[in-house]
Amino acid sequence: MSALKIITLLLGTVSLTAIAATPDDLIGDERAVKQHIAQAELQNFSAKEIIAHGKMLFNAKFTALDGAGRPAATSSEIPVKKDPGISLAMFRTAGPDSNACAGCHNQPGSGGAGEFVVNVFAASGVTNVDFDTLEPQFSNERGTPHLHGSGLVELLAREMSAQLQAIRSKAVEQARTSKASVQVRLTAKGIDFGELSIGADGFIDISKIDGVDHDLIVRPFSQKGVFTSLRQFTINAMNAHHGIQSDERWGTQWTNSDDFDEDGYQHEISSGDLTAISIYQASIQTPVQQLSQNKVLKQAAIEGEQLFNDADCSGCHTQYLPLKSLLFSEPGPYNAAGNLRPSDGQPSYQYPISAEGLSQDAQGNWLIPIFSDLKRHVIADSDKPHFANERLSQRFIAIDEFMSAKLWGVGSTAPFGHRGDVSTLMEVILHHGGEASASRLKFEAMTDLERRKIVEFLKSLQLTLAEVK
Amino acid sequence: MNRLKKLLLMSALLTVTSYALAIESPQMREETATSGISHQYTGGWEYFVGGGVAAFDCNDDQYPELYFAGGASSAALYINQSALGQPLKFSKKSNSNLALDAVTGAYPLDIDNDGILDLVVLRLGENMLFKGTGNCQFENANKEWGFDGGNAWTTAFAATWEGKSTKPSLAFGNYVDRSQAGSPFGTCHDTDFYRPNERGQYSQNTPLTPGYCALSLLFTDWNRSGQPSLKIANDRQYYRGEGQEQLWKIPQGKPPVRYTVEEGWHRQRIWGMGIAAADLTGDGKPDYYITSMADNKLSTLASQDGSARFKDIARVSGVTAHRPFTGNAVLPSTGWHAQFDDVNNDSFIDLYVVKGNVEAMSDFATLDPNNLFLGTPEGKFIESAERSDMLSFHRGRGGSLVDLNLDGLLDVVVVNRKQDSQIWRNLGAGSADKSAAMGNWLALKIVQSGSNRNAIGAFIEVRVADRTQSREVTVGGGHAGDKAHWHHFGIGVAERAVARVQWPDGEWSPWIRLFANQHARISRDKSTADTWLPFASAKGLTQ
Repeated sequence: MSALKIITLLLGTVSLTAIAATPDDLIGDERAVKQHIAQAELQNFSAKEIIAHGKMLFNAKFTALDGAGRPAATSSEIPVKKDPGISLAMFRTAGPDSNACAGCHNQPGSGGAGEFVVNVFAASGVTNVDFDTLEPQFSNERGTPHLHGSGLVELLAREMSAQLQAIRSKAVEQARTSKASVQVRLTAKGIDFGELSIGADGFIDISKIDGVDHDLIVRPFSQKGVFTSLRQFTINAMNAHHGIQSDERWGTQWTNSDDFDEDGYQHEISSGDLTAISIYQASIQTPVQQLSQNKVLKQAAIEGEQLFNDADCSGCHTQYLPLKSLLFSEPGPYNAAGNLRPSDGQPSYQYPISAEGLSQDAQGNWLIPIFSDLKRHVIADSDKPHFANERLSQRFIAIDEFMSAKLWGVGSTAPFGHRGDVSTLMEVILHHGGEASASRLKFEAMTDLERRKIVEFLKSLQLTLAEVK
Repeated sequence: MNRLKKLLLMSALLTVTSYALAIESPQMREETATSGISHQYTGGWEYFVGGGVAAFDCNDDQYPELYFAGGASSAALYINQSALGQPLKFSKKSNSNLALDAVTGAYPLDIDNDGILDLVVLRLGENMLFKGTGNCQFENANKEWGFDGGNAWTTAFAATWEGKSTKPSLAFGNYVDRSQAGSPFGTCHDTDFYRPNERGQYSQNTPLTPGYCALSLLFTDWNRSGQPSLKIANDRQYYRGEGQEQLWKIPQGKPPVRYTVEEGWHRQRIWGMGIAAADLTGDGKPDYYITSMADNKLSTLASQDGSARFKDIARVSGVTAHRPFTGNAVLPSTGWHAQFDDVNNDSFIDLYVVKGNVEAMSDFATLDPNNLFLGTPEGKFIESAERSDMLSFHRGRGGSLVDLNLDGLLDVVVVNRKQDSQIWRNLGAGSADKSAAMGNWLALKIVQSGSNRNAIGAFIEVRVADRTQSREVTVGGGHAGDKAHWHHFGIGVAERAVARVQWPDGEWSPWIRLFANQHARISRDKSTADTWLPFASAKGLTQ
């Protein structure tokens, strides 16, 4: 047995069964994650300590000794075995394609966005990677979004889901009581999500639901708006990008195996770890508006905001969505099996998100300057086909449909578009088609200076690295 | 060492020790005593067999009622009074004309296509077709539908819609013909096969001869030819000579014909008691578990040429269940009702086998616990009844895995001979009396207009990532009872799935998009499913 193998086995054993025994001075320890944390023990830590642990995980360059790599598993978000055969340890398309979360989410800092070079190839290698190329029939190439304010995003989505489902329940009850069909509008936080028709028999016609999944869960993450929670996205990404498999998704309960990816490592990331990394992401600073010190540019941005509204850009890029509570509980209420759920018997962790920079309305709601309605829209047409540049629908969503981009931070996160292939804000606005055609036409009808003012306004929506207090 | 590190080190130990060790078994809580169900299947030799339970909704709240065969005692219809996800509650319906004696089993189906389930009641003596009229009221429709219930000892049933027939064809499996000289040995009764005439009347019986003491029947499209055959589990205890398991071709408009050795059929002699079907191999074709006395079989199609040649994979799959899995008994087991369904919603179908000594057969185990086999990703099964806290040594007969409180977890009902019927609430990952979800699930209804509204004979496919679960929609099988309720699919960690239906006439639906943990109805000619929310509680009967 080679020395390398012996060291690997030794460290592997340490990571498997005796994490607690890891000495500080273990010579040659090449693990990126030297300690894990149990969900049940989170209550013993301060929020600062949990965030520090989560940030460590987010920034960690996972190594084989951490369980990185998945020689026998694909990037699929549910357990799928890879076809037998030799596969590369790292693979730019089908993954694992990065060492750390922060390897891509790094501009202007950890948790930020990424430029074109760190695009990912979503859906590549879900079953078979051998003949995949960069051609769009094999994957959807996506840019790296920033995660600033993402805790607030998830909280908004949770409240909207609750509102929509309450409307549904009430309408069903009404139909049953009256023994007659009922039609009801689906509105949450002032956003219209179409209509439900409930038959006299209580069955619900979902065909007129608009811009949200028909289970009425607002899924606010990814450009498509198809992921429910930071936790769910993190679990998916840990496997797809790093080959770090959580027991929540790939554990024995679901796979009858404690090492589904057959890399020789078990329990690669714990539920407590996933809570910590979710809380870290939820805690990343809320984007802010930073007006230029230059008086001309500052005034232009202020006027640009009004012009932005005049062009009805804010019809989808809704400036503020009201939020009742800043208390972020993890796990979230809409997680499905495969992600820790409140019903799973583990204690939830409560984290109050900072109100810094947020204003409140008369009802005490926090106004979240997200510049999105968290709704999906058709965004391309034959006149403006650019955004329909994918070939694979994702999670039932057609290729011309995307969630309204959250424009907070857009001034810091060039390039633009879901593929990160548009270098200027002006261009990306002009690519809007579909449901955004009317707004684009208004934009095009403006003077050159007015259009520039809108761009100047968008440039003022910045990410900040200021410390969260 | 700083505080954070110390705490991390402590928690790491917990992390390591808190991981699950295997496929997770659901926690079952027996609620017989508090359920309101008090029922036994009783009687002498004629009731050594039978003892089925039918699970179906008869008051339009989707909470399934339970109709228990009683043998020498009166059969009983229990109305579901449960609340969503809560303890199981039932009340016995009084003054029901279903409260008959000599009932061995029952099967629910919509015979007259009015959207209300009817009930076929099997008896020692005249079988009866009951027309459901709503609010759990039933009318004897033998006369209206031109059906002569006969006087046989009926122990099995199955139904199929042939072609565009407005009513189903009905097969009644009969046990020993007590009127023959030399009974019971070598005097098995034929299976009766009724096709509706052009007026929808069951005036003509086509006996399927020879009969070999059938204890379970199932119309099933074993080779996906589009034309179901009739599979019969026969009890070798009483047949003689050429007796064996049977598979009958049912060509439309022509007399049924048995599959022969020339067509690949191999003679198999077991104490066939019950049939369960599910596609275990992923080829889209049903595989069959046939209960027996010790030699339970799991039959999968072995031929590549379309012939009816099956092989047994019970041993490699871990479901021989040939002797009690606990205790010191080495005597063989006696299996009765069997049913495939996913009780832990991990997407790998499970198998429940109800067991119990015939009466006092000393060569067979007296304490013979029911098996709960949990399916694994490797296609094998792991015994889990004890881990699920549902060990029972009662003398079991019929049973059902059915979601009685509409929480997405399949509960369990078992009919016992001369002992109380039992009912378990599936608590999933919960404990004590609080349930908790396990894997994700779908509960599907499929409907079409005209005749055969519930699309008996259809296949439902549910696809998640690289796996497709295929389920044939049938009426029959099990032991003397069946359920007509939501088609339940566990989908594990998938948050969504697509489903399609091959309707009985062979036409495929488009792939229908579904999100997890919902009840949904797939209607023919509609490309989206209608979802459904459970009532907060069962609504009981209108007075």
